[in-house]
Amino acid sequence: MKRIGVFVCHCGNNIAGTVDVKRVAREAREMRGVTFALDYIYMCSEPGQALVREKIKEENLDAVIIAACSPTLHESTFRTAASEAGLNPWQCEIANIREQCSWVHSDREKATAKAIKIVGTIVEKTRLNESLEPIPVSITRKALVIGGGIAGIQASLDIADSGHKVILVEKEPSIGGHMAQLSETFPTLDCSQCILTPKMVAVGKHPNIELMTYSEIEQVSGYVGNFTVRIKRKAPFVDWSACTGCGICMEKCPSKIPSLFDRELATHGAIYVPFPQAVPNKPVIEKDSCIYFNTGKCRLCEKVCEIGAINFEQEDTFVEEEVGAIITATGFETLPVNDLDEYGAGEVPDVIDGLAFERLLSASGPTVGEIKRPSDGMIPREIVFVQCSGSRDPERYKPYCSKICCMYTTKHALLYKHRVQDGQPYIFYIDIRTGGKGYEEFYHNAQEEEGIIYLRGKVAKIFRDGKKTIVWGTDTLTGRNIEIAADLVVLATAVIPMYSTAELVKKLRIQTGPNGFLSEAHPKLRPVESINSGFYIAGAAQGPKDIPETVAQASGAACKVISLFSRNHLEQDPAIAWVDEELCGGCRICISVCPYDAREFDEENGTATVNEALCEGCGSCVAACACGATQQRNLSDSQIKSMVTASLGGE
Amino acid sequence: MFEPRIVCFLCKWCTSAGADLAGTSRLQYMPNGVNIRFMCSSRVDPEHILWAFHEGADGVLVGGCHPGDCHYKDGNYKTQARMSLLNRLLKDFGIDTRRLRLEWISAAEGMKFANIMNDFTEEMRSIGPLEISPGEVAR
Amino acid sequence: MTKVAYYPGCAMNDRASHLDRSARDAAVKLGFELDELDKWTCCGAVPPVSEERVMNLIAPSRILKSVRDSGRDTLITICDFCYNTLKRTNFSVKSDIITRKRVNAFLADDEPERDYIETDDSLWKDYTGEVKVYHYMEYLRDVLGYEKITDNLKRPLNGLNIAPYYGCVMLRPLNEIQLDNPENPSIIENFIISLGAEPVKYSYRTECCGSYLSISNPAASTRLCYRILTSARNSGADAIVVSCPLCFYNLDSRQQAIDEAYPDFKALPIFYFSQLLSVALGVEYSRQGFEKHYADVSPVLDKIGGISGKGDAK
Repeated sequence: MKRIGVFVCHCGNNIAGTVDVKRVAREAREMRGVTFALDYIYMCSEPGQALVREKIKEENLDAVIIAACSPTLHESTFRTAASEAGLNPWQCEIANIREQCSWVHSDREKATAKAIKIVGTIVEKTRLNESLEPIPVSITRKALVIGGGIAGIQASLDIADSGHKVILVEKEPSIGGHMAQLSETFPTLDCSQCILTPKMVAVGKHPNIELMTYSEIEQVSGYVGNFTVRIKRKAPFVDWSACTGCGICMEKCPSKIPSLFDRELATHGAIYVPFPQAVPNKPVIEKDSCIYFNTGKCRLCEKVCEIGAINFEQEDTFVEEEVGAIITATGFETLPVNDLDEYGAGEVPDVIDGLAFERLLSASGPTVGEIKRPSDGMIPREIVFVQCSGSRDPERYKPYCSKICCMYTTKHALLYKHRVQDGQPYIFYIDIRTGGKGYEEFYHNAQEEEGIIYLRGKVAKIFRDGKKTIVWGTDTLTGRNIEIAADLVVLATAVIPMYSTAELVKKLRIQTGPNGFLSEAHPKLRPVESINSGFYIAGAAQGPKDIPETVAQASGAACKVISLFSRNHLEQDPAIAWVDEELCGGCRICISVCPYDAREFDEENGTATVNEALCEGCGSCVAACACGATQQRNLSDSQIKSMVTASLGGE
Repeated sequence: MFEPRIVCFLCKWCTSAGADLAGTSRLQYMPNGVNIRFMCSSRVDPEHILWAFHEGADGVLVGGCHPGDCHYKDGNYKTQARMSLLNRLLKDFGIDTRRLRLEWISAAEGMKFANIMNDFTEEMRSIGPLEISPGEVAR
Repeated sequence: MTKVAYYPGCAMNDRASHLDRSARDAAVKLGFELDELDKWTCCGAVPPVSEERVMNLIAPSRILKSVRDSGRDTLITICDFCYNTLKRTNFSVKSDIITRKRVNAFLADDEPERDYIETDDSLWKDYTGEVKVYHYMEYLRDVLGYEKITDNLKRPLNGLNIAPYYGCVMLRPLNEIQLDNPENPSIIENFIISLGAEPVKYSYRTECCGSYLSISNPAASTRLCYRILTSARNSGADAIVVSCPLCFYNLDSRQQAIDEAYPDFKALPIFYFSQLLSVALGVEYSRQGFEKHYADVSPVLDKIGGISGKGDAK
């Protein structure tokens, strides 16, 4: 027979002022299972806790109940005190007779009666409580980072620098992401490649980072601390260990495919390195565009390669890795110009998007940094920038603000004006959002010093008329409609999640929000974790953001991973679901109900099982179980029913 | 005066925290309910509610997080579905469905909790004690 | 020969009677008959411009209800405005129960006295949007199929470059009309292709022609039409095809005013879709009413290789 001790706290006057604590202690002593009860003025104090430890030993108690304030305050305090006296922490329970009794009632008689009932319910629970041990879960101290943009790069470096191993998987042939495409970054106008390349090189060289580019995630299984990942390494058809990077194969290739890196403003061969500072700086052959793969002829690259590094026989390979944590940093794309029906639907050649304009600005871009328009190479003298192309438009496109466009459009107009001094930039905007450090000053300078005309209004239609591109917009501040015959139009298209993210999250089984961006565990307090244990998120994949925020999130996610790895093992709360196999009929309702995929089916046994590492203890499956086979430890149905009876004043 | 007896099944993360907030704010409400704390409102089995009525409760309050805010993702949606079905069962038993009340109360809504306790108590007082023979209630 | 309920609309009986005739002729060639409603009234053509919520729906609802009461569930119209009015009336009646009740309360005034022993009460049932409204062009696309046209061509319009003009009300508002993408439509282009002609791409095909400003600000309408016609011509069009008599009237007869205001303007013939269709299907030119056109259509007819229409050529 369990021996339960009840300690009723006065909490000074907070409880004793309304509740007759002595009477509560007396009534508790009479309850079934209670062998000892006392009242004391401040249970949470040092003497109070000493009292608990003392009485556990003296009275040979198996369990203790502290009738006091809310468990959120001192449950862990008293559990520690109890365990110091040799009691299992789960044999210590708190009865809330302050926040939920003495502080909210004034009638002494009724408050006391209620306090007695509250203690009664906790007594009933405690009578059937088992001693539990936290569930240890081992951790593989290796991280997987998916996505090699600045977010993935920063996270990988931070984790690798802390001494842990990282696998960085990137689907393109090189890391770098969109930041590598930028010319200068706001507000400092730092050269993007200059600040990015050292980090890329560091990743390539770091002894703790295994870099897998031109690779994709095939499958992920397991749980926090214990993931198994299957990665597909696409065949580049070039032996990277032999290739010296001389570049002759790329010069000679007769194929021409539009360069994605240059936003289709230029072409490259079927064998290519995406950009000169690529890491790794090794070419790949794009099979679909290669003349040899399509027709059986050519193989010119093979002929000119002095090392014989070309190998058309290569096949995709698969590797399996064990990791303990996964960071998803798959970044963003921008809404394709083809989707914007009102703006020419991609059929007007001189309507381009922001990233394409970056390539025009870039000294290593298709026009070597001269701003020349795609249709005929002419330098545009009238240039129109259209902000919010597809953003802030709940009816037709994306409802949200893409955050970075106001800054980069101002940057574009400013850089244009520096290079084309007799040119006239116009910017159509709804608002100018310049929230970061130095951003407002940057915009202010552009507006005042550079002669950029800012027009507050939306653009209704863009179309071609001969050599000009006509822009129909409006200026709400003067109330007039505006028609501009532009030479070049740059659309600040909406930031959207990278296309491959939608498929990837199904494999990872993590959440995305209504616009496809990765969901954080809590929008304010947990921005770099997914609600699924072991999965972390960083960068534009979580939502549109600029480079400083991306880097901050990447380091934040890395910190969470390092923190995970710094523990000996994970400890899972043991008050979770368990299955009585005798009772389980194999209906599998519990499996369908679990939000954490913690319920599995044992085919051999024909019964449902609980993955103790994944179960969070919500109890959904327990309530759903039709036959009572699934129960929750220390909150079973029989405990609940006796608690209910006690709450009504019964026995 | 008839004092109704109410059992309150509250979820730890939202509703119980809201009740605690009512306490720290010293809001006063009628003492007719006793709170039983679960991790999630989705732990509440209709069986528990029927047992409560069987054992003499005049009213049962089930409290969970607002839709979309459940600490365990979608537990409260399951609760809502179960309570809807249970409502139909109560009608069949001849139990006034006002006796079962489902409320979404966040950890910040101490005032809401106090108001609901007062409101619910008065409502139970006005419709009187639950009179059924225990044999009628499903075990 | 399938008979389909047909709502001509007011313009069809008067100024635009030739358009009505060409639509009927073409239908016959394609194997169906436009069965004009016994009794019909003006549809009001008001919803696009009105702020009134219920009164503007009464007349069109009455038309639709009479179609339903005659045991039919399909109604064709050949005018964009009638189409827009009728379709949006259907939408309002279907989607908002209060509107439905109020409209039907008004319509009840028209119903015959109900005999208490009447067993079939279909006449007294509320109209809830059961009739499907088709634009003739929509009927061609969705019910007949373009192959039916191509298979029956007697005078394929090969070699003709025709620019489609959509006007404002054929496609908008999208959520109520759901005929095609208002920003980037293709229904008229596909129709042109089915006749063997080449659709012309130009930037003003969905822009307003200003017909509503005909009285209050004709100069604005003149300017708008000038831009539309010039853009089409500069893109290589031999003619423009329209699907609404108001667009037709505005783009065609306003060319006189455009001529006076813009010396560089060159006339461009305007065709109604049903005229092109019936000509392509082999109907005589004399039945098309080309003499009512302002802009001379003979260059186009010459291209098709038939007798030049007698016209009010300038």
